[in-house]
Amino acid sequence: MIRGVRCLLPVVLLATGACFATREDVQALHTDVQTLRAGNARSDSARRASLDRVVASLNIVRDSLGLLSNRVVKMQGDVRGDLYNVGQQLLQIQELTGQSQQRVQELRASLEARQSDIASSAAPPQMSAGTPPATTSGAASPSGPPRAVTTAPAPSAGAGATPGPNQLFQISLEQLRRGSPGAARTGLQTLLQQYPTSDLVPDAQFYLGEAYHQEGNAAGADSAYAAVVSGYPTSPRAPTALYKRALGMEEKGNVTGARGLLNDLVQRYPRSDEAALAKERLRTLK
Amino acid sequence: MIALIRSDLLPARTPRLCFALAMALCLAPFMSRAQDTTHAVRIGLTYQPGTKPGVIVLAVRGAWGDSIQGIIARDLDYGDRVEVIGLPGTPAASSLEGIGPGVSYPLWKSLNAAAAVQATVTSSGVHVAVHDVTGRKIVQVADFPLPPTGGSTEWRLAVHGVADEVEQWITGTRGVAQTRILFVRGGRVYVVDSDGFGERLISDAGLSLSPAWAPDGHTISYSVLGSRGWSIVTKDVAGGAGHTLPSTTTGLNTTPAFSPNGLTLAYSHGDEAGTDLMLVDLAGGGPRRITVGHGSDNTSPEFSPNGRRIAFTSGRAGHPEVYIMDVDGSNVELLTPFNFGDQNYRSNPDWAPDAQHIAFESQIGGIFQIMVISLRDRSVKQLTSEGVNEDPAWAPDARHLVFTSSRTGVKQLFILDSESGRARQLTHAGGARLAAWSRSLGHGR
Repeated sequence: MIRGVRCLLPVVLLATGACFATREDVQALHTDVQTLRAGNARSDSARRASLDRVVASLNIVRDSLGLLSNRVVKMQGDVRGDLYNVGQQLLQIQELTGQSQQRVQELRASLEARQSDIASSAAPPQMSAGTPPATTSGAASPSGPPRAVTTAPAPSAGAGATPGPNQLFQISLEQLRRGSPGAARTGLQTLLQQYPTSDLVPDAQFYLGEAYHQEGNAAGADSAYAAVVSGYPTSPRAPTALYKRALGMEEKGNVTGARGLLNDLVQRYPRSDEAALAKERLRTLK
Repeated sequence: MIALIRSDLLPARTPRLCFALAMALCLAPFMSRAQDTTHAVRIGLTYQPGTKPGVIVLAVRGAWGDSIQGIIARDLDYGDRVEVIGLPGTPAASSLEGIGPGVSYPLWKSLNAAAAVQATVTSSGVHVAVHDVTGRKIVQVADFPLPPTGGSTEWRLAVHGVADEVEQWITGTRGVAQTRILFVRGGRVYVVDSDGFGERLISDAGLSLSPAWAPDGHTISYSVLGSRGWSIVTKDVAGGAGHTLPSTTTGLNTTPAFSPNGLTLAYSHGDEAGTDLMLVDLAGGGPRRITVGHGSDNTSPEFSPNGRRIAFTSGRAGHPEVYIMDVDGSNVELLTPFNFGDQNYRSNPDWAPDAQHIAFESQIGGIFQIMVISLRDRSVKQLTSEGVNEDPAWAPDARHLVFTSSRTGVKQLFILDSESGRARQLTHAGGARLAAWSRSLGHGR
């Protein structure tokens, strides 16, 4: 038994002896730990400083972007405002141009009337004796197609006594406004026949449709409006004429035809006011 | 000469009147000779060209006789087509009535009268005869029934009808006395007779604006502020509850206008996309947009008399101007002229019943005045200059206009004769505006 203890004693001493550190060992270990902590702290501090710099940089960038964004928004607002103002000014110019055109047209009509008067008064006496002048003019047939025929003017009228296109247009429009569509139609047809190259032809063709419409002649109106769309597709009257045709179809109960014309209007003249009206009409058309 | 012998300028004392009449009788043959060159009008009256025919309204005996005479004389005067010759003093007027036609005609002629109106109260109403003074004969006779309650609102309206008929006989144009005018005061809609009598509240509770007459003369429409915005209400002017148009229960729905056939109503509908004009069939159906304002405001529609076109106010060119367009929304045309950069604007059009003119309000130096533009040659005529004048509305005769004016210091309704420029005040309580004139109410109501 004792012998066994003696044998084990060195082993036990050897095993437990490793568990006992000296003070120096602990001190060294403590120093190591502190060194390690200080290193970690320095490292954290450096990282924090770095992160702070990054955050600061990001803030600067964000502020810059914010300012930039504000400037862009302001600039957009300014541009929109300017564009709106330009648009309004364009509209005003457009309206004023319309007014000016109307006045110019009235002046032209007045000028033509005076020229006619002068020509009438200055006509040589032999004119009234029935000398046939070599003038060619279109027949003023209200319903027939334009045809060139040679006519002798009225005995008292000179060659210049025939009303000009502006005069004819102005008089016809006045007749239409005062509720005499028959007289207006005759004047407009005369204009179309005698002055087929006048810049007033699209308008005259359109108002011919209006005159027919006022007379209750739906077929005539449709035909006149169709002539505007087919003959003068770039005229500002074209979308209006197309819209009128569609409404005429709807009045007659031809919903399919009306729908087709309204769709055509939206496709061909998408930016016109009539296209906006046509879109709504298409929604409610039954 | 006319001014010298006009009886309303003479004193009431009999001697001076007799002297004036004697002088006039002495001059009668010369005056008669001078009038040989005059023109005849309608029933053959003769009077000096370029002047209004003088008309004497004789005294009326019987119940409400004075009222009948007063109403007829005032209506003829307000019509601005005849010169009403007053006969000062009851005795003189009464004595004229008793004189036989052979004696009275020279006397009336001496007063420069072309016609004399003689009314007699009957059991059912009033019998009216119009004398041609120059021709010395009665040229027109008619019996007019009157409501039994003398002095009532309807009785007065019927007497106005008599005056209008007399004006028709004498001048060929029916008067506008038998009409009524809607207006707004303190956010409520009122109605008043054309002579300023019989004012009464029409609208129900709630802030109400922009009243309009239907062509039938008894249905009206106006906009009412509700919990969900402004809606359009129609109701009978005689009473009863208002009916809200189903399509106008949300949004800003204002300035209604009836089509001439009364079947359609145009109004302005506003939302975040701007204000556009809508057209709705009163028999049913959804509203249809007829303007493309692109975010601008389009308001105050007014139909042309034939119902084919609509005048309206639009801000599409930057500031409000008056436009006209076809009733389907196409063929839009700027009506009122303006110059580039002009800050003054024009609005509130009203189409004259004769279809020849449109009245509107126009800023001049920032102050509104009433203007009229001719649809034939687009010439513009300014009708007012005193105070702020706005919201014009035509009478059925296309000659008189009712409008709001601040010329007395507060907003009141005035009636203006667009030909002579003569104006008279219609309302007297402050704050009246937005007037609308009815058609002739000749058939009841």
